[in-house]
Amino acid sequence: MHNVENSIREAAKKLLSEKKVDLIVGYERGTLPLRTTPCFVDKAEDVRKLVWNENCDANLSKYLLSRKENVGVVAKGCDARSIAVCIFEKQIDKEKVVIIGAPCLGLIDKKKVKAKLDGRELLEATIEDEQIRLKGEGFELVFPKKDFICNSCLTCRHRNPPIYDVFTGEKVSEAEVDEFGEIADLEAKPAKERWEHFKEELDKCIRCYACREVCPLCYCKTCFVDQTMPIWFGKTNDLSDTMIYHLVRAFHVAGRCVDCGACSRACPMNINLREVVKKTEKIMKERYDYTAGLSLEKIPPLGEFKIDDSQEFIK
Amino acid sequence: MKPAEKEWTPKILAFLCNWCSYAGADLAGISRMQYPPNIRVVRVPCSGRVNPYFIIKALQRGWDGVLVSGCHPGDCHYISGNLVARRRFAVLKDLLEYLGIESGRLNFSWVSAAEGEKFATVVKEVVEKVKALGPAERLVKR
Amino acid sequence: MVVFQMVWKVIGKNKIPTLIQELNKEYEVFTPVKKENLVFFERVSSGNEAFLDFQNTKKSPKEVFFPQTEILFTYEINKQGVEIEKAPVLKRDIVLLGIRPCDAKGFLLLDKFFSSGEYKDLYYLEKRRNTTIIGLACNRPLSTCFCTSMGGAPFGKEGMDLLLQDINDKYLIETVTERGEKLIKKLPWLKDAENGDIDKVRSLSRNVEKAIKSKVSVEGVSKKLDGMFDNKQWDLIHEKCLGCGVCTYLCPTCCCFDILDEATTKWKRVRIWDSCQFSCFTLQGSGYNPRPSGKERMRQRIMHKFNYFPKNYGENFCVGCGRCVQECPVNFDIREVVEAISTDIWREKDE
Repeated sequence: MHNVENSIREAAKKLLSEKKVDLIVGYERGTLPLRTTPCFVDKAEDVRKLVWNENCDANLSKYLLSRKENVGVVAKGCDARSIAVCIFEKQIDKEKVVIIGAPCLGLIDKKKVKAKLDGRELLEATIEDEQIRLKGEGFELVFPKKDFICNSCLTCRHRNPPIYDVFTGEKVSEAEVDEFGEIADLEAKPAKERWEHFKEELDKCIRCYACREVCPLCYCKTCFVDQTMPIWFGKTNDLSDTMIYHLVRAFHVAGRCVDCGACSRACPMNINLREVVKKTEKIMKERYDYTAGLSLEKIPPLGEFKIDDSQEFIK
Repeated sequence: MKPAEKEWTPKILAFLCNWCSYAGADLAGISRMQYPPNIRVVRVPCSGRVNPYFIIKALQRGWDGVLVSGCHPGDCHYISGNLVARRRFAVLKDLLEYLGIESGRLNFSWVSAAEGEKFATVVKEVVEKVKALGPAERLVKR
Repeated sequence: MVVFQMVWKVIGKNKIPTLIQELNKEYEVFTPVKKENLVFFERVSSGNEAFLDFQNTKKSPKEVFFPQTEILFTYEINKQGVEIEKAPVLKRDIVLLGIRPCDAKGFLLLDKFFSSGEYKDLYYLEKRRNTTIIGLACNRPLSTCFCTSMGGAPFGKEGMDLLLQDINDKYLIETVTERGEKLIKKLPWLKDAENGDIDKVRSLSRNVEKAIKSKVSVEGVSKKLDGMFDNKQWDLIHEKCLGCGVCTYLCPTCCCFDILDEATTKWKRVRIWDSCQFSCFTLQGSGYNPRPSGKERMRQRIMHKFNYFPKNYGENFCVGCGRCVQECPVNFDIREVVEAISTDIWREKDE
């Protein structure tokens, strides 16, 4: 981990001092345990602020949208994939971005930690080898790190960025995982139970739009829920309105979502939003054999068609 | 206006493409074919014009079912409008069903201008399906 | 003001469900409720639902008086014109049990916002006026709590009618207002507190207050912000903010709203929460947006909390509950901003 951190700093320093970029977007230490915060470095001497660890959870591709200057960006596998989608969709200018790819070892899910501590506040956390040490008022606990890895990372098949300009550290081996296993149980349930499940989950939503704002692919200038002429769907936290908001958001990222998990991590109400968007990924894979963010050329499924597409649902 | 006061019959919103399905419906009418009067038709230029919002909005406003009908693949007046729409509808239908909306409420069909009889059959089937499901509850905004 | 006799009572922790049960007969009772591992304020129907062993609730209790979605009235348009039907009024008075001192102070700030000036917000005030607040002193403040910097205290009584103070297996109940006293009189079975308990609480309160380590120097910030509207730092600090509404929606004092008409079976005029951090908050009909980027929106939030509100109402619009610090998806920490402003770093960098 440390050597990746050093190579990120070196790469950043080189890019800045050679004037290849005007700005580096990376992560720096946050103000709370298990947190990092996005950081913007424009001077070579400031690169020591940059960190790399299991808490670098923000998807930084969001900060590349509509930037005029040349930017270097630190990217994990999922971040690089969402950058690829944005480049394809002409939201990020490929010529202006230098991707500093870094191998991802999986992010720590703060919500899993919180659940484990059950109301006790975490004051300090250290991660060493494969263990995580959690300290707080009157407790010090050690757990295997794997207990707290984000669900999106547990089903990740692209820890190494598929596209990058500079690669830092060494590539990690990709795991063979069941990508869609986590929604299999839910899918197997009858419609009524699924409805009850989502009703309960999405009823917690407070419409803060954190999921939308952190999503690298929710870049519309005016989101459909913010449209007023005409108003498509209501902005209240009425169940029907929130359901539709999440449904349509999922629909809009279908074939584009790279399952970075940013939406789930950002939700203050602990709604597992990935459960909704994960389905779109599965539909894309099963119907159109497509995985988003792996190529800069391939047209995503909803941008094209074939004469013999599946149509079992049409009379 | 309370639905409970009268015997409930489903209300189904049908989006029919101008070139095929609308003409198909017309043919059914001219040929005096009988089909249930539960559908309300919205004539659209092409099934590709049917924004998924229309379908979702219909469900939110309490329509008991939605039918979208267009030209057969290859017959689209605009060459490929229905093919683009097909992918969109596939994703939308899968997603809505995954959230727990009853699959019978979302119906799609290809009906050509010559298929008056198919149109009548489609409507009959859709109405039967929706009747069996009862009034829409999920996703309806009160 | 009527002078009343301040009384101290005591209640065993195991008696809290009984207390809630009894209050329920006469009031709508809201208490913290634990759901999965989050704690929210909710209307409870039985005493066992209350969960008082929390540090801070996820959402602030402001939604009791200022719900996220509130129907103001419904109407029908017919040939005779418009027929308006008022939204249902409060059926019973409210008791809020388990309010932290920071949130209670938040209510006082909201009161200023909703009740001063020519037009008063009746929807808010009706609920507010008919509410008895039973506070719960804070024995275990979070590391992000900075209430003491904002003029509050973990055992603060401001804004409360009664204050519960946790000593081991029982709560000491301190009456703070006449309304609180009235409520206490309805509960004759409560035992009187002993002097020893009161002393215990006093020393506990001092210790807890000392234990709050997060300090923000807010003194003079309001004045300093006066000359900082065009400070270059605004260009930098907003950069990582993504413009979601987590901070404002969880905040106990943020209370911006939007009003819209909704048509379902009837027309409804609804008030919903809105946030200065959203771009469409200031978007005008013409398409012009006076706060076009995150910079102006972030500046608005900081300015409103630490400059405009103090100017209008004499107090900072922040109670130091730390919710925004805890929950921000990108770890934007308002404490750092206020600290930087107060220590003149901004002014120096601007020169």
